[in-house]
Amino acid sequence: MSLTMRCRFVRETFSIDVDVSVRSGCVLGIGGENGSGKTTTLDMIAGLLPCTSGSILIDDSVVDDSETGRFVQPEHRGVATVFQGGGLLPHLSVVGNLTFGRGRALRASPRFDEIVDAFDLRGLLRRRPNELSGGQRQRASLARAFLSPSRVLLLDEPTTFLDTDSRNAIRRLMKDWFVAYEGTVVLVSHDTSEIDELADVALRVDVTRGATTEANLVRD
Amino acid sequence: MTRRLASPRGLSVLGIPAAALVIIPVVAVVWRTPWSTFWDSVSNDVSRTALALSLRTSLIATLLALVFGTPLAWMLAHSRFRGLAVVRSLLVLPMVLPPVVGGVALLYAFGRRGLVGGVLDDWFGVRLAFTETAAVMAQFFVAAPFFIVVMEAAFAQVDPRVVGSARTFGAGPWRTFLTVTIPLVRPSLVAGLVLTWARALGEFGATITFAGNTPGRTQTIPLAVYSALESGDDSALALSLLMVTVSVVVLVALRGRWVGALRRGGE
Repeated sequence: MSLTMRCRFVRETFSIDVDVSVRSGCVLGIGGENGSGKTTTLDMIAGLLPCTSGSILIDDSVVDDSETGRFVQPEHRGVATVFQGGGLLPHLSVVGNLTFGRGRALRASPRFDEIVDAFDLRGLLRRRPNELSGGQRQRASLARAFLSPSRVLLLDEPTTFLDTDSRNAIRRLMKDWFVAYEGTVVLVSHDTSEIDELADVALRVDVTRGATTEANLVRD
Repeated sequence: MTRRLASPRGLSVLGIPAAALVIIPVVAVVWRTPWSTFWDSVSNDVSRTALALSLRTSLIATLLALVFGTPLAWMLAHSRFRGLAVVRSLLVLPMVLPPVVGGVALLYAFGRRGLVGGVLDDWFGVRLAFTETAAVMAQFFVAAPFFIVVMEAAFAQVDPRVVGSARTFGAGPWRTFLTVTIPLVRPSLVAGLVLTWARALGEFGATITFAGNTPGRTQTIPLAVYSALESGDDSALALSLLMVTVSVVVLVALRGRWVGALRRGGE
């Protein structure tokens, strides 16, 4: 099981080249300045954006290939996302978010209870995202991602807008849960200390607008 | 000397005529309505028929705006093609067009000798002009752009990353549209529908031109008011008061939300 990207993304003002291969069980950290293309890279893996040229493989199956024209939709890629600010659905309660797209049976499963307790969400299940603190929102978002049967876990700045205490708590949670996670984790953060602490391998996306910079790291 | 920051002297005085011109007529309708005959005026045969016709046609026009306007607004919010600005301008044109001109346009499009109407008549024997269907079409033409504008702004406002994350959690495009996008635009959807319905209910110019003013067939309340006034009938005032009441209820229901919805497309 693995994630392999050999692709390029081009827009009018910038382009990104990514050439990376990561084994399952590994945490790939992606650092770089704001606007360097970190989120674009995540979106390509998630299937929200097609790459301009090249290919992306998840577990040796092609999910995006500019040559064959293959493009697997996000709901069929086996990816779970924790987007900046949580990315929770604002019109659903925490429990609605946790079970979104998964059916009612999930709520009765032992896995559901395990994760709700681990992320300390028991008392928050009926709340809407706008009734949660930043830290609570991130916990709910992480819980949703770990409940999803994913092969790749994508995290976009999971601690950026948090105060120091919440940030440390979320980092501890991520550290614990990354160990047990069987797929590949891709962690995007502009915070070098977060990448150093959590990632097994690090990739820096450095894109100067108007020019292309190679961002390379291959480890298998 | 008053201790406060000076405003342009006398500026607010100039606002008084504006307020007066809007407020006095509304007061006049309430003031002059003959209360003793009010119930007879709104419940006689002509009024009842017009009332039923108005409710039916305006609700159908609003429903059509919902069913077909929502996809159109979504498309406008998400498409990027050459000429999009032109298409958008054409679609909102009825908002600024004199409604009577809209009626003329409808007549030359769907009338018996119209662009499409001619074909409909020759091939299928379908005549739209001066029917109840024509009244619905006139109302749709004039009112639907309000819904489309409100909804396009609302769709454009939906965070694509919230929709995107829903997709990664297993919901397909249709499911995401129905269970994420639509609930997120619901405030605008409701505001847009109420606004569209109110506009359709009050439609006059396009209706009288394209659908005519036949009692029982195409005479909606605004047309009945006009006819009653011409024949010096008291029911003009009573029916007007009814329309004022409906408008006030609509405004209260929206609580100024449609102005906000137009500006920022929902909450």
